[in-house]
Amino acid sequence: MGLPALEYALPVFTDPLVIGLVILGTIAGVVVGALPGLSSSMAIALLLPFSLYLDPVPAIALLAALYCAGTFGGSITAILINAPGAPPAAATAFDGYPMAVKGEAGRALGISAIASSLGGIFSVVVLLFAAPFLARVAYSFGPPEYFALAVFGLSMLASISGEAPIKNLIGGCIGLLIATIGVDLTTGVERFTFSVPELYEGIHFIPVLIGLFAVTELLTQAQNLGQKRHSIRVSAVKLPSLADFRRIRSTILRSSGIGTFIGILPAEGGTMAAMIGYNEAKRWSDEPEKFGKGAIEGVAGPEAANNAATGGAMVPTLALGIPGSATAAVILGGLQVQGLRPGPYLFDEQPALLYGIFFAMLLSNALFLVVGLAGAKLFSRISLVPTTLLWPTVFALCFVGAYGLEQSLVDVWIMMIAGLAGYVLKRYGFSPAPIIMGLVLGSLVETSLAQSMIIFDQQWTGFLARPIALVFFALAAISILSGSIRALLGRVLSRSGGTA
Amino acid sequence: MKIRAFDISVLTVPLVLVASACLAQDDFPSRPIDVITHASPGGGTDATARAMVAGAREALDVNMAVVPRTGGGGVVAMNYVNNRPRDGHTVLAITPTHLFAIARGQGPLAIEDLVAVARATDDPLVVMVRADSPVQSLGDLIELGRERSIKWGTTQIGGVDHVAGAILAQVAETQLSVVPFSGGGEIVTNLMGRSIDAAGLNLTEALDQIQRGDFRALAVMSENRLPVIPDVPTTVELGYDVVYSTVRGFLVLAGTPEDRIDILEAGMLEAMRQEGYQNYLAGAGLDPSGVAGREVWAAQLQRLYDDARQAMIDLGIIDPD
Repeated sequence: MGLPALEYALPVFTDPLVIGLVILGTIAGVVVGALPGLSSSMAIALLLPFSLYLDPVPAIALLAALYCAGTFGGSITAILINAPGAPPAAATAFDGYPMAVKGEAGRALGISAIASSLGGIFSVVVLLFAAPFLARVAYSFGPPEYFALAVFGLSMLASISGEAPIKNLIGGCIGLLIATIGVDLTTGVERFTFSVPELYEGIHFIPVLIGLFAVTELLTQAQNLGQKRHSIRVSAVKLPSLADFRRIRSTILRSSGIGTFIGILPAEGGTMAAMIGYNEAKRWSDEPEKFGKGAIEGVAGPEAANNAATGGAMVPTLALGIPGSATAAVILGGLQVQGLRPGPYLFDEQPALLYGIFFAMLLSNALFLVVGLAGAKLFSRISLVPTTLLWPTVFALCFVGAYGLEQSLVDVWIMMIAGLAGYVLKRYGFSPAPIIMGLVLGSLVETSLAQSMIIFDQQWTGFLARPIALVFFALAAISILSGSIRALLGRVLSRSGGTA
Repeated sequence: MKIRAFDISVLTVPLVLVASACLAQDDFPSRPIDVITHASPGGGTDATARAMVAGAREALDVNMAVVPRTGGGGVVAMNYVNNRPRDGHTVLAITPTHLFAIARGQGPLAIEDLVAVARATDDPLVVMVRADSPVQSLGDLIELGRERSIKWGTTQIGGVDHVAGAILAQVAETQLSVVPFSGGGEIVTNLMGRSIDAAGLNLTEALDQIQRGDFRALAVMSENRLPVIPDVPTTVELGYDVVYSTVRGFLVLAGTPEDRIDILEAGMLEAMRQEGYQNYLAGAGLDPSGVAGREVWAAQLQRLYDDARQAMIDLGIIDPD
């Protein structure tokens, strides 16, 4: 793409309408993102008809700002009340909520804001300079590569949380089983749908998410009502201290790269990016045992990754016309409604548009840092609301969120069942993290394997001719075996040390 | 528990029917019109419905909303529409997906329940391969399939592009393995990435790739050539009577008063002839001739349904009775 041509960039960067719309989109995005069940893709779809009345650049700037800010907003409720406002924020709740329980809500929000912002800015810069080249990466990912990637993701299943690998594996299998519900893509066979048409396309992720996190938490809180509550302290809002920032900077950098890469892959968006960002933050940590109990890297990892996925997702959307995520698909629709055809020619024909999107995303990523930090003070006061008032309100929001997704009562039932099941599982020491992971990766791992086998004429050896897939398989093998290898090495070393 | 919630809604339907019948006698439309889609926000049907609604609000002088009822290959949307009064205030956006569902006996509606109002887009499938593929023509592709099975990307088992490919293979006596993906974008990526040999894609989904020279269009599955790619022959010209197209349009259910259907048809057609909708068509690479009135649309619906049903019987997806 080369350096920004100032003649196109300046008028966009200084257009008060564009700046105003980006501010509006950012604030709206944070709010919409924070509310469970209201997603930024829904908000963008609702705004599409109105954006018709704007010129293409301001219109797309508004939508892009909403997208970036909405992805950050999801973390606010994930941290404060264990109810991720959007699927990409699910992994943020793993450590964000334990931090809030410890009275560190302000610190967690600050870390989320800075990680999201840096991750987002990283990916936007990549978008601007490398979009046409990186877009080609999308083409080298066929079903075999997706299968290998998903296997790599699942390889962390046993160690994703807590000290009970067996329970994590069981949880992961539950997630995988839930993912089999619906019409199988490759055979057209209905599985576990019980003739409920709402289940044909599978269990929606959002109601499960709301149930497993928010409803489970509500039931846990209800159980503790009669007991003397440990008073939740609200520490003064802590912006990330220098020491905190030093601790998370390598996590942010790693997750920014992961998020941008996964965002570029057309089938995957922020949710998978956040999961892998979380996995890798844990894998590279010196203190992996602190994860799940309020590790700041556990907040920074997924948040940097899911916001980096926004810029990544725009790469194939703009350069190839292939959406990199669900929200990017809606933005693509927005471009088409404006009469624009995304594709390699878009940048040559409409340079102002590219800079508009770039500028809007950059500004939005910087702005929600301000909104997030300023708001953190306000948001974290939620912890001061008495439990008896807070949780019934959250419960009502759960219903709205689950129903609002598709105005379907089936989703409300799914939410409640997931909540009850989550509560029982929690009592027996199961964590929601592997269940969510199994659910996110389940259909991908199954479908991509089935597609691969058709492509390979049912010959397993076909995988041997796919180098990218082999790399991911190798990484997965190392990931699974690393524990045993380390133990074995330790034993060999100590023995040789003993004889010497 | 699910059943109880459903029962209540069934009980309230007659009440709503009576109430709305009293309210809306001559003054139509008297309240907001809902356009029910089966597609998620951002999908092609959603975008088409929204582009139409943007103009139709003025043309019909009434508030209109696009209401997504996703799931079940259109069955959820059809259930919903079936439970609403047939007074013209509920419009269903329909695609071949719905017709395939009806042909499979899914959902509450039969083909006789559908009353065409206006067609919004007509987007024939185009058989495509990569530009660097040795396959130069439809004949080459068919020949390839006789040596080894063609890997044919589709969006859905039993969907229009699956049936199109399978019927083409049947008519041309060649072999084809269907590789299902979850959307047109994925098919484009996988065709580019050499994971599949060929696909029947909508022109809208791959116009860029054709214009840029990444894909080669072998044949248009239609009776008439497409103005955007005038050099590409049709399947009918090549001697294969395999005609498939992704059409989108609007309809109401049987029992809706005739005069109201006329009002809806006039309003929607006016909306779709306006600049906004035409810009949308141009942006999506669609031909303006896709917009058509009730008569053309009704005939096409019936033909699509008959073809779909026959194809599914031929493929063994459904039983003839």
